[in-house]
Amino acid sequence: MNPFGTFIQLLVDGLAQGSIYGALALAIVLVNQATGLVNFAQGGMAVLGSYIGLTIGNLLIPGVGSTLGVVLGIVAAVIASLALGGVVERFVMRRFERAEEDTKVVATIGLLTLITGLVGLIWGFNPTPYPFFFGGSESLRIGDVSISVWSIVTFTTIVALMVVLQILFRGTKFGLGMRAVADNAPSAALAGIRVGGLRMAGWGLAAALGTVAAILLASKSQLTPNNFDGILVYALAAVVIGGLDSPIGAVVAALGITILESLAAAYIPWIGHDLKVVVPFVLVFVVLIIRPQGLFGRRAVVRV
Amino acid sequence: MKTTLSGRRAIAVAASVGAIALVLAGCARGGGDVAPTGEDTSAAVEPSPGITDTTLTFGISTPLTGATAGPGNCTVDGALAYFGTKNAEGGITFGDGKTRKIEIKSYDDEYNPEKSAANFNQMVADGVFAAGLGLGTPTNRAWREAAIEADVPQVLVMTGDPIFSDRTESPVQLGLVPIYQQEGAAFGEALVANGQPHKVAALYQNDDYGKGYLQGFKDAVAGNPNIEIVKELSYEPGPASSTPNYLEPQVTELAGTGADVFFQAVSVTPRVVENLAKAAAIGWTPIWFLPSNTASPGGVLTPAGVTETTYPGIYAVGFSEAAAAPPFAESEAGKAYFAAIAEYAQGPEQDGKAFPHCVWSWIGAQILEQAFEKMTEPTRDSFLDALYSIKGFDAQFAFGSIDTTVDGLPAIQTVSLQKFNGKGYTNVDVVG
Repeated sequence: MNPFGTFIQLLVDGLAQGSIYGALALAIVLVNQATGLVNFAQGGMAVLGSYIGLTIGNLLIPGVGSTLGVVLGIVAAVIASLALGGVVERFVMRRFERAEEDTKVVATIGLLTLITGLVGLIWGFNPTPYPFFFGGSESLRIGDVSISVWSIVTFTTIVALMVVLQILFRGTKFGLGMRAVADNAPSAALAGIRVGGLRMAGWGLAAALGTVAAILLASKSQLTPNNFDGILVYALAAVVIGGLDSPIGAVVAALGITILESLAAAYIPWIGHDLKVVVPFVLVFVVLIIRPQGLFGRRAVVRV
Repeated sequence: MKTTLSGRRAIAVAASVGAIALVLAGCARGGGDVAPTGEDTSAAVEPSPGITDTTLTFGISTPLTGATAGPGNCTVDGALAYFGTKNAEGGITFGDGKTRKIEIKSYDDEYNPEKSAANFNQMVADGVFAAGLGLGTPTNRAWREAAIEADVPQVLVMTGDPIFSDRTESPVQLGLVPIYQQEGAAFGEALVANGQPHKVAALYQNDDYGKGYLQGFKDAVAGNPNIEIVKELSYEPGPASSTPNYLEPQVTELAGTGADVFFQAVSVTPRVVENLAKAAAIGWTPIWFLPSNTASPGGVLTPAGVTETTYPGIYAVGFSEAAAAPPFAESEAGKAYFAAIAEYAQGPEQDGKAFPHCVWSWIGAQILEQAFEKMTEPTRDSFLDALYSIKGFDAQFAFGSIDTTVDGLPAIQTVSLQKFNGKGYTNVDVVG
């Protein structure tokens, strides 16, 4: 592979891996839009969803064949996590509605520990292969660059979901309602918006989105209960950089930091692969200092 | 200077505590002397904690939950199976003539050094005689010094870290499995042996594990004009099992060197799976070296979609027979092993072959039995003396005989380079 080929390959790899971070970032934005808080359990819920998909898929495959089994498994996982997200919001987070912000955040961290533990208890902690249509080794070759099928599918899926969400937020009554709830729940309620329902919907959608990402990741690198622990950190960085209220911002930032990190590691010798992990966080600092609302975020305006 | 009231009270308290302690110590010593010791009147030595005339308690701190739970449960189950069988037969006859049953107590450390350090305190509180067999470098290191201080044997630990087999550094320790350097060196020697020129790219975990493997390899190929290490990349091991998130950029960068040998000392299973798939996906097909803990055919190679023909060769170092291989299950010893696992293992869904650590633990249990049979006094010192003097013992399932007498080397010293054959591994002498 020539040096230019390596460069392009790094870009392509970064887009695929970054879209996994982006999907989780997107879910975090969604929850933040619905309930105004950052859900640290987002990755854990995603992993739980993917385990449900795995179990149902494995149950169905002997009966209906592998393709249909995998598809039905994914559909079941998405539906289950929609419900799960709603239930968690209604019966757990709703109890903390009037609590302080810190308390809510701690509650989500507690959820993460609980869910990871439960998943381990039920499915075990060993890496488990996810039955999927393809693994990480199939690829298409374009000149010097190989694009794995996994990369293409992951990237397009996540971008499509992002576009759908952006339309949902900006172009529908549902999205408008959700933004109203996030902005000022009491006023929204007075205006006749069903605050509780919208919050549940936001959590449910976020959980479903996370599950899709978790299944895509598992198809490449197996499923473990803490698959998303490391990814959550990058997703949070992406959310801060992109803006807590911008789906596009979150995804673009996730792709950006992943690629930048790889390139910095490969081409800036004193950073290298050992120090590359700081790249996203230096960016977080810079963004917070220069543009606290995030690159794509809207500045919160307070009338005096 | 005036002593304050509270200061004086503190001194008084300290003084009384000291006095009570002295009295208690005296009582304990005196009590030992006068207490009737049964029929054995010649017993001059005080038994160490955790050993009676009929039982010995052995502690295992290892990950029972978390990402390393599969191998971790195996480190307990192999010993449970071995000693379960022995106990059912009546127990083990020790060197002092008494027959004792072995009680295994397991402690979950979740592969978290803080937990394993706490587990050590718990083991001391629970009165274990000796501890060990658990897997994990950081977790075993976390209580190494405490074990030395408390004079509790920490033996046959499953880590390739050489410090545990260094008698000066670790006077109450002994490693079970070959040290990292031995594995790296075995591959290096076999690579040199094929006489062909090779360009080597290396990816290693930036800690004792990764550096140990690479150092062993480098020492073995040093001065050989045929072998050129063209690029070395590393990564930082993270706290969670899933970090780092991916190592594919490193694989891509190393592929750019056009190396024909990929020396990979990565300990995170999902990352190894990804890397094996990634190199094939970008059309880089080198000869691979994998460390023994991430080379499992069922757990790593097959999930990565790797077959016998994907790469010119995938090599790992073995030191024990694989329970998953058909000859193992057909042998008498193998049948007894599986029967014992089925009866005594407590880990979830334990079949005794998904991870090699069950067999390693079984080997460790045999070495312990040797030491038990040799120890002439019911003390930790006598146990350690016995443990350090095993030579020429042919343990079931180990490739070579066990030798615990060499300072700097673990109990299992015979390693063999193995090549992936599509299903399992075959022993080979030369790479290529």
